[in-house]
Amino acid sequence: MQASKARLFKEYHEVQREKTADPDIQLVCDESNIFKWTAFIKGPSETPYEGGVFQLSFSVPEQYPLQPPQVRFLTKIFHPNVHFKTGEICLDILKNAWSPAWTLQSVCRAIIALMAHPEPDSPLNCDSGNLLRSGDVRGYQSMAKMYTRLAAMPKKG
Amino acid sequence: MSKRVLCKFFAHGACLKGEHCEYSHDWKDPPNNICTFYQKGVCAYGSRCRYDHIKASQAQSSIPSSSVIENHTVVSDTGAFGNIITTSNGVGTTAELSLSSSPYILPSEPAWNHELVWNPEIEYYEILGEDNVGQSIITSPSEISICSFAAAGNCPRGEKCPHIHGDLCPTCGKHCLHPFRPEEREEHMKTCESRHKYLDALKRSQEIECSVCLERVLSKPILAERKFGLLSECDHPFCISCIRNWRSSNPTLGMDVNSTLRACPICRKLSYFVIPSVVWYSTTEEKQEIIDKYKEKLKSIDCKHFDFGDGNCPFGTSCFYKHAYRDGRVEQVVLRHLGAADGNTVIAKDIRLSDFLSNMHLR
Repeated sequence: MQASKARLFKEYHEVQREKTADPDIQLVCDESNIFKWTAFIKGPSETPYEGGVFQLSFSVPEQYPLQPPQVRFLTKIFHPNVHFKTGEICLDILKNAWSPAWTLQSVCRAIIALMAHPEPDSPLNCDSGNLLRSGDVRGYQSMAKMYTRLAAMPKKG
Repeated sequence: MSKRVLCKFFAHGACLKGEHCEYSHDWKDPPNNICTFYQKGVCAYGSRCRYDHIKASQAQSSIPSSSVIENHTVVSDTGAFGNIITTSNGVGTTAELSLSSSPYILPSEPAWNHELVWNPEIEYYEILGEDNVGQSIITSPSEISICSFAAAGNCPRGEKCPHIHGDLCPTCGKHCLHPFRPEEREEHMKTCESRHKYLDALKRSQEIECSVCLERVLSKPILAERKFGLLSECDHPFCISCIRNWRSSNPTLGMDVNSTLRACPICRKLSYFVIPSVVWYSTTEEKQEIIDKYKEKLKSIDCKHFDFGDGNCPFGTSCFYKHAYRDGRVEQVVLRHLGAADGNTVIAKDIRLSDFLSNMHLR
């Protein structure tokens, strides 16, 4: 309990200090609860998510960093490894390959990398996974681009 | 009373009591150079002790071997007063007799006005004072102690100091090397160097952060946690509590013990054990030294699993702890080589009946 708080405070200060270090990631801590965080990440360039801003919610367990934080997409996203309805993410480092050396910041980076390199063989979103597995990259890209435009971009007009 | 024993402060040139000192300020009197700890049984300095390691009973006969020649009469003419005085050190010296028998000489001037001349040809020191002109005290230079002022920094008496000024130690930068005691020099150089190395390593270790709690390991709030946990197979720094917590945490969510928990959190290299250490290392030799010291220390501790032969240690021969029976015998493991059916040799140890029973199928 105490250890996790101390570590989260450390990360909080680090984030405050290096706000501009990574322009793609903006981590915000809940004002009343250090175990709740929100992140805004920019969709990586040259992917269908380019131009979108995706919101993630972090729920940090008390055993952190011995246990991984629970991360979900709050913004709707069409991606083979993200559950379309709940926003749950299938990423090994958030499950069985977690290591206490990861930080919330580095988890965000890993999620950006996952967006750029989807893993269609362990899909949470079967439609998206099937499109990629059957080789229909164009179909996947246009679907993903459409949802990015619908959900992750500021509405025009 | 103890006027007849040379004052050790005077001998170093700095007795604050001056004429009121209860010890003698006369160079002719023998110093009490007997180690009190040795008298009680154990002196922690052992052979390095600057005091004489002789038993009180031998003290009398061995005094002449110390630096100053005895030049006064003892016992015989003072029968009536001849009560042997036991000094606070618990050492009875027959030299301490009543004052009337041989009056001590009060120094008319402080010790540093006596001139000490080093005569290299005949290898002795001459003290040239008003009272003892012409009297020479033969002593080998190695028995003269070095000047503590010079050792601590600078000696106010400079060239005129009656003591030897030690040579400069290259490591600690103090004039503390005795020019005529080669063993002492070597000893000092060795301890000084290892001390210096340790302090250096400690200084470097201050900055190192644990990758789990992100704090500086040596600045952690709890004293017991200010220790590194070294992994045997890689060089990533953690504090001992963090890495032990991680390695002993419950494998949840299908974590694999070997690939996740026992691996380094940063490089995922598998390490089988963690070594606690107060300092961080900079070379592989230093790391090996830390590991060897740790293993050696564990080897002296009885294994609680083995329990003097009553228990059963799951680590067997590779256990880091001591496997000894109550009578002090160390466990001897006899390896049994069994020829397996496929022609390979199998090393078997601790064959139990249950091993065979579990493979048996009852029909």
